[in-house]
Amino acid sequence: MSVDRRGFIKTLGAGVAGLVVGAVLGWAAKPSEVREVTRTVTVTAPAVERKLPKATVKIGVLGIRSGLWSTYGEFIEQGARLAAEEINARGGILGSRVELAFRDEQADVVKQARELVDVEGVDFIVGIDSSGNALKVGGIIDELGKVLVVSHAATHRLTEELVFKEGKKLIFRSSVPVYQDGILAAYIAKDLPVRKWAGINGDYEFGRVSWDLFTKTLKTLRPDVEFVVTQWPKFGTEDFTPFISALLASDAEALHTSIWAIELVTLQRQLTAMGGYKKFKAVVSTLGYSMDVAYALGAEYPTAELGTWVSARYMWLYPSTKINKEFVDKFKARWGKLPAYSAETTYSAIYMLKAALENAVSLDPDAVIKALEGMVILTPAGVRWIRPEDHQAVYEVPYGRIVHKGAEVPLLEDLKAVPAMLYYRHPPFG
Amino acid sequence: MDLTPFLVQALTGLYKGSLYWILALGLILIFGVVRVINFAHAAFYVTGSYIMYTFYNHTGNFIISLIMAMVLTGALGVALEVTVIRRVYKLETIYQLLATFGIALIANEAQKLIWGKGVVYIPIPETLKGGVSVGGVILNHYMTLIIVAGFLLFIATILFMNNTVTGLRIRAVWRDPVMSEALGINTKLTYTLVFFIGTALAGLGGALTVPLISVGPGLADYLIVTAFIIVVVAGLGSITGAYIVSILVGVFSSILVLTIPELDIVVLYMIAALILLFRPQGLFGER
Repeated sequence: MSVDRRGFIKTLGAGVAGLVVGAVLGWAAKPSEVREVTRTVTVTAPAVERKLPKATVKIGVLGIRSGLWSTYGEFIEQGARLAAEEINARGGILGSRVELAFRDEQADVVKQARELVDVEGVDFIVGIDSSGNALKVGGIIDELGKVLVVSHAATHRLTEELVFKEGKKLIFRSSVPVYQDGILAAYIAKDLPVRKWAGINGDYEFGRVSWDLFTKTLKTLRPDVEFVVTQWPKFGTEDFTPFISALLASDAEALHTSIWAIELVTLQRQLTAMGGYKKFKAVVSTLGYSMDVAYALGAEYPTAELGTWVSARYMWLYPSTKINKEFVDKFKARWGKLPAYSAETTYSAIYMLKAALENAVSLDPDAVIKALEGMVILTPAGVRWIRPEDHQAVYEVPYGRIVHKGAEVPLLEDLKAVPAMLYYRHPPFG
Repeated sequence: MDLTPFLVQALTGLYKGSLYWILALGLILIFGVVRVINFAHAAFYVTGSYIMYTFYNHTGNFIISLIMAMVLTGALGVALEVTVIRRVYKLETIYQLLATFGIALIANEAQKLIWGKGVVYIPIPETLKGGVSVGGVILNHYMTLIIVAGFLLFIATILFMNNTVTGLRIRAVWRDPVMSEALGINTKLTYTLVFFIGTALAGLGGALTVPLISVGPGLADYLIVTAFIIVVVAGLGSITGAYIVSILVGVFSSILVLTIPELDIVVLYMIAALILLFRPQGLFGER
């Protein structure tokens, strides 16, 4: 992770300033809904009516809606619907109603994205679970000509390569990328009194990058560590037993995994059944506090001697702010469960668009891009700063240690938060 | 050189191979006798998992839930054979593929409607929770149960096919349906019976996995590919061949995970491709 010193300090300064301004304004104003915070005061002539050129703002929503990972498409849909319902109940965006159009990204994502634009006539696209799919849609975004806010897919290449290096300015991302699974995971691992690490990560873009960033960062932070065994199960692995026995054959003391969703539930249960939690003193599971996993494992969520350290791209119990508590309550009232991370990231993506439209008073993509770049917005996950260079939302999500307190889901203790500006990579991305 | 890790991998592979076998047996029976490539087999497998989950949650009884999963999945198989699949027996293979693929898609969506999109599983039965520790790895008693169940199923199938009148009829229809019909065997009924057995076996496989593998809609979509490879590599007419190849694939791929984790699946597919190139009828199939 090589960062140009001057560029880093400049970016850091801008980011910190933005976050501080946003946080202060946010705290001061008793927000009852997600609310945008601008850094400049604009005086608008009262006679000019602030209206969008269309009575309906249509947002296309892409997510995995079929197969084993369809829960994730549902999370995206729940977040999107809640945001749209709230916005419409309060009079829409500058008087225009928000309408949603959902498509399954598993059914040829490029075709679905094109149809959203050409057939459904959407003004924006949000969502996308798979990193591969995000890169595919990102690749044709200039043809589509619509602003895309990715709210789950985590590959760093989306923002670092497509936006920053290739200049595809229509792409934004509201969710924390793979820095969470690689770099921040290493910050958590460095404080654990273990030296020999094992890894089990998916044999695809996200899994490979997670492990790569984890090992490189941890080796820098703790030169004494060793990485003794690595396993790469394929996407769609339904049974991890051969991988687990291979991990347990090593002398590793701790385990890093970015395996997610239903696969993680099986991995954790099989690790327990095969003695993994007797061998590994600590487990760092980067998406271990995704709500589908927390609900499915419940009281059986295994805890290692030095902790099962988990995170996600948003966790319902952090931060302890009024806006987050209200979001969690509203979400639970609407959908009956605690919000999954991609529900929040999609919900906030739509509020980011709302704020941009209210600022730009236009549906013109260039005007919306301008309004989104550098935006500081208070959301349930905290203050997000939309970094102008790579269009990545910068905000922090901590790791915590799984504990059982008899609650609806396992809870977290010893929350460890590292400032986002420290663990996010920065332009020009070495 | 310490061979314990290899032994552990082989044992894990034996468990995995036994799971493949239960899935492959249903496939090979249906393809051999009914001559339908059942793309919906994975959907029946997952249906078995869900039925097991439902009955276990209501009764708390593992055995009753297992039997119900088998019987009800088999009954569902019969219902679909009678209403849909029977109509495509005499049509080209493409129609059979489309029909069974359509059933698989409908089943996946129906499972979402009935059981939701979330992850479900049941606990390992209390009596099977422990395990034998080999080289620091616990070979769970439940994994041992699957290995034993797979082997017993193999013996039972061979005995049933070779020593019962129904087995003889099934073999006759497998070999030559026209001649069998001329000799007075009710081929229509035999097809339905085989479809019941095949789908009930899929249900059994799905039900047996719920305590160890978490279930969601479309769970077996990936597993079924390996089962198809096993059936083709073994040769489409051989039950014994399917058992041997299932175990070999399980053990071999498990050892590859330990030794060449980067290439485990690739090596397996390459071997399968080579076998089919030089022995298109499969290792145990007849020309």
